[in-house]
Amino acid sequence: MTDNWTVLVGVKQVPDEDDVSIDPDTGTLNRAEAAAILNPPDKNALEAALRLKDEVGARVIAVTMGPPTATPVLELAVALGCDDGALISDYAFAGSDTWPTSLTLARAGEYFDADVFICGEETTDSSTGQVPPGIAAHLDWAQLTYVEELEPRPEDDQLAAVRDVEGGWERVVADLPVVVAVGYGENQPRPSGLHRKIYAENEFEPIELDAEELGIDADEVGLDASPTQVGGMDTASPVEREQELLDSVDDLAATLHKQEVV
Amino acid sequence: MPEVDVSEYSDVWVFIEEHAGEVAPVSWELLSEAQSLMENKDEDEELVALCIGENLDDVAEEALARGADRALVADDPVFEPYRADPYGKQFRHLVAERKPDVVLIGGTSTGRDFAGRVAVPTHAGLTADCTELGIDDEGHLEAGRPAFGGNVIATIKCENHRPQMATIRPGVFEATEPAEADGDVDHVEVVVTEDETVTEVETREVGETVDITDADRIVAVGGGIEGDLGPAEMLADALDAELAASRKAVDSGWVGHDRQVGQTGKSVRPELYVAVGISGAVQHLEGMNDSEVVVAINNDPNAPMFDHADYGIVGDLFEVCEELAEQIGNPEALQEVIA
Repeated sequence: MTDNWTVLVGVKQVPDEDDVSIDPDTGTLNRAEAAAILNPPDKNALEAALRLKDEVGARVIAVTMGPPTATPVLELAVALGCDDGALISDYAFAGSDTWPTSLTLARAGEYFDADVFICGEETTDSSTGQVPPGIAAHLDWAQLTYVEELEPRPEDDQLAAVRDVEGGWERVVADLPVVVAVGYGENQPRPSGLHRKIYAENEFEPIELDAEELGIDADEVGLDASPTQVGGMDTASPVEREQELLDSVDDLAATLHKQEVV
Repeated sequence: MPEVDVSEYSDVWVFIEEHAGEVAPVSWELLSEAQSLMENKDEDEELVALCIGENLDDVAEEALARGADRALVADDPVFEPYRADPYGKQFRHLVAERKPDVVLIGGTSTGRDFAGRVAVPTHAGLTADCTELGIDDEGHLEAGRPAFGGNVIATIKCENHRPQMATIRPGVFEATEPAEADGDVDHVEVVVTEDETVTEVETREVGETVDITDADRIVAVGGGIEGDLGPAEMLADALDAELAASRKAVDSGWVGHDRQVGQTGKSVRPELYVAVGISGAVQHLEGMNDSEVVVAINNDPNAPMFDHADYGIVGDLFEVCEELAEQIGNPEALQEVIA
C-alpha cells in the first residue's frame, strides 16, 4: 500500500447565479456584474476530500484553473481544511472547452502524483458534468461519478463509493488512482475553522503552475484544441400563459374542470 | 492536435442504454429522432443502434423494430452491469474501426458518465444535455442546448473533429412504437476482459424506475414543501398524476433524481402540470414549458412560477393541496363548485 493518500480537489470560480440579472430593456443577461463565488457543487467535493483526510490521513490539495483573480476559491478551500492550493494559470488556456480543461487537470493530477482526484458534479456556469470523466479518460484512471458517499479502503489501495444510478444506487470499488465526482448536495459541508481562516486570508500563497510546468504544449489547449464551438445563440421564446390568479380552491377546481383537465 | 479527415466518418449511432434487459426510454426517443436526422444525411449512411451489455438478442431486435438499419452488439458478462472502463474501451475500439459521424447518448446518469469518458480519447466534440438536434447544410450536427440558465439556446457545432457526440435530455423527443424489424445484427468482437477492469460493482439496488416523461398529469414539488410530501401525494393520487420535483427538492433528498424536471433532469409535456411550492427558476421552467395547462400553488405571491402558469393560487400550499384533492376526489363536491 502507498503512504498517505494525496487527494486533489478541483474547484472553480463561477458567477453567482442568483446575482445574474436580466436587463429589462434589452433582455440580455448582466453576467459580468455578478459576484464571483465558489462553484456550489465544489463544496460537496471539498467536504468529501476532507472526510478522506479525517479517515485515512490524506494530504488534500485544492486546484483551480483560472486567472489570479480566482485565488479566493483556493483561500476558501484552505480555510475549510485543505493542506494547500494550486492556481493553474496561463494565457494558453483561454477559450478551452471541456477537452483541454480535463487534459490540464489530468496533468495536474500527474504533477502532484494524486491517488484520488475529487470534483463536484458539474459547474453551475456550464453544467456539462464532462470534466471529471474527461480527467479519468486522459489518465486512463478509474472513475466514480454521481457519488453519494466514499468508503476508503487504504489496505487494498482501493476506494469504494455508493453512487446514484437511475432508480437506485450501487456500491462500486475502484482501484487507485481514481477520479471522483460527488453528487451535488450529497453531504453537509463543514464550516471553516477560525484559525485556518485567518491563515488562509493572511499567510496562504497558492502554488502557481503554468502550462509549461505541467508539460502541456500550447497547441494542446485553448480555443484551437477545443473540438466544440458555439455556432449561435437564440433567445428561448417564452411560452404564453394565462397568468390568472384565482381566489379560492373552488375557483381552481371549477376552472380545471372547464379546461377538461380534471 | 492531430488533423481529422471528417469525410472518412459516416453513419449515426444511438447508444442503447440497457440494464439487465431493461432499456432506458430515452434510447428509443433518440432512435426515433435520429430517423429525422437521417433525412439530411447521405443516402448510403445508416442509423446504427449501439448495444453493449449481456444477453442482448431481444434488445437488438427491438432496436431494429424501432427504426435502426443495423444493430452493433457487444454481448459479454463483462458489460453487465454498466462500468465506465470496459464500456469505454469497447467503444473506443468500435469508433476506431467503424468511424461513426454522429453518436447520440441519453442524458441519464449512466449516459453522462459514459459520454464524458469516451469523448476524450476519440477527441470527439461532445455537447451536453441537448434539447434540439439538426444537421446543417454542410452535414455537421447542430446540437442545441439551453445556456445561461435556460434564457438562451446555444447551438454547438463540431466542424473539425469526429465523431460529433451529444447527450440528450430524456423526454425531449417522443419514441415511436416498434414496427416490423428490418435490418442487420452485427455481433462485434469483445475487446475487454474482466481482469483488465479497474472497477467492480459490489452491490446494485435498483427499484422500479419511473418514467415521468410519459405522464398525462404531473404534480411537482419544490423547496416550499419543506420535506413534507403528504399533501402533494394526496393531490397526485386524486388527479391520478405522477409525482415530480424541482432540483431543490431532489437535492434535499425528498424525491428521487429520476423524478427531477428541468435542466439535468427530464423534460415533460403533460396535459396538466401542478407546481407546488416551486419558485420557478429558469432551469426548472425549461423542463416543463411544453405542458398544456400549468397551475402554480405557492405561499409566496412573488414566486416567478406564477408568471409561467395559467392559473395560480397564493396560499398555504398544504391546505390548498388537501382541499383541491378532496374536491377532485369527490364528484359531488366538484359538481357543486361547477354549478
